[in-house]
Amino acid sequence: MDYDQLLNLSVELGCQLMSSGAEIYRVEESVRRLLQAYGLDSPEVFAIPNCVIVSITTPQGHPITRMRRIGGHGTDIELLERCNALCRQLCAHPPEIGKAQALLSALPEQTPRYPPRRVLLAYGIAPAFFSPIFGGCISDAMAAMLAGLSVGVCLLYGGRFIGSNSFFRTAICSVVASLMSLLLVHLGLGRSLDTVTISALMVLVPGVALTNAMREIMAGDIISGLCRAAESILTGTAIAIGAAIGLAIGGIF
Amino acid sequence: MPDLWYIYILPCLCSFTACVGLTLVFNIHGVGRLICGVGGALGWLIYLLAGSSILAAFLASAAIGLYAEAMARLRRCPVTGYLLVALLPLVPGGGIYFAMSYCVAGDIQRFLDTLLHTFGMAAALAVGAMMTSSLFRAAYPYLHRTKPGA
Repeated sequence: MDYDQLLNLSVELGCQLMSSGAEIYRVEESVRRLLQAYGLDSPEVFAIPNCVIVSITTPQGHPITRMRRIGGHGTDIELLERCNALCRQLCAHPPEIGKAQALLSALPEQTPRYPPRRVLLAYGIAPAFFSPIFGGCISDAMAAMLAGLSVGVCLLYGGRFIGSNSFFRTAICSVVASLMSLLLVHLGLGRSLDTVTISALMVLVPGVALTNAMREIMAGDIISGLCRAAESILTGTAIAIGAAIGLAIGGIF
Repeated sequence: MPDLWYIYILPCLCSFTACVGLTLVFNIHGVGRLICGVGGALGWLIYLLAGSSILAAFLASAAIGLYAEAMARLRRCPVTGYLLVALLPLVPGGGIYFAMSYCVAGDIQRFLDTLLHTFGMAAALAVGAMMTSSLFRAAYPYLHRTKPGA
């Protein structure tokens, strides 16, 4: 068997799982099970949120290691589910490595994705329906929808101007959300400034990082858990800074 | 009856729709979207019934944790997606905003109060879902004599 190719396959699987938003224990266990399914008895896998290291020893006693760094990524649950299903399938009936590699590489293209326009619509719908929860009326919901749409435009189409730094991006979006709400409430659409702003900010809130942090800590990966807890606090701080800028400008006028 | 509608049913329906909307952002397809929406509505209903406090957030996130684990076992899918979206309405975005508004207004006492309350809410959410998930994982092999899925 070609162990170099097997190593490449397993690292690729780990990388795809990680970039679709899987927890650390899932990445480590999936890669370990895949390698065991191909007959290696003690593969070593180590993962932290932006790095996967896999090390195997061939039956001839030759150790090989590969490391792969993973850049910033979002959450793609459909890809995660498909990766997970593929991993199970490979572990149950390991095919030839070349075939497995082809199945895995085809996965990101095969995964259905919503067109950006529908995602933008989602950025509008979510705040509109969050506002009644926080005590808003119909006109508040309309204003929240427009403010949410502006945040969605920033997130989906503004990547080139804002850059990839997530702290800065969240802060900018938060400023946009609070200024938009301020403008809309001053124009007469929407009654309560607080409700409209909060509803628009709800799409930026660090729910993903918070959930992931607690799942990592629960699984015993303290390093990754702390990384993600720090991420959620930073995102919260970015939202707060953005909202403060919006409020300060609102105070001047 | 109208009270019941305005206090419980309408917010839960809104929470459902908002969660279904947010599933598009996380690229969730098919039945998963409905599961996320129902999770969001369930969480918000329990949060309202338990009195909208930190304890209520804890109970709501515990319920969501249990629900998400059960659904993930049923569909043999990763839990993350369901948990993530259903918890979102409970994340204290309002707390962050009000804390900042008191800070900008220079009302330090209320700023600190709100800030601590926000941290308490976030911690309650995390601990609630964490606890039920762990309990579920520990109890599942006894409830079901099959090998638990990953």
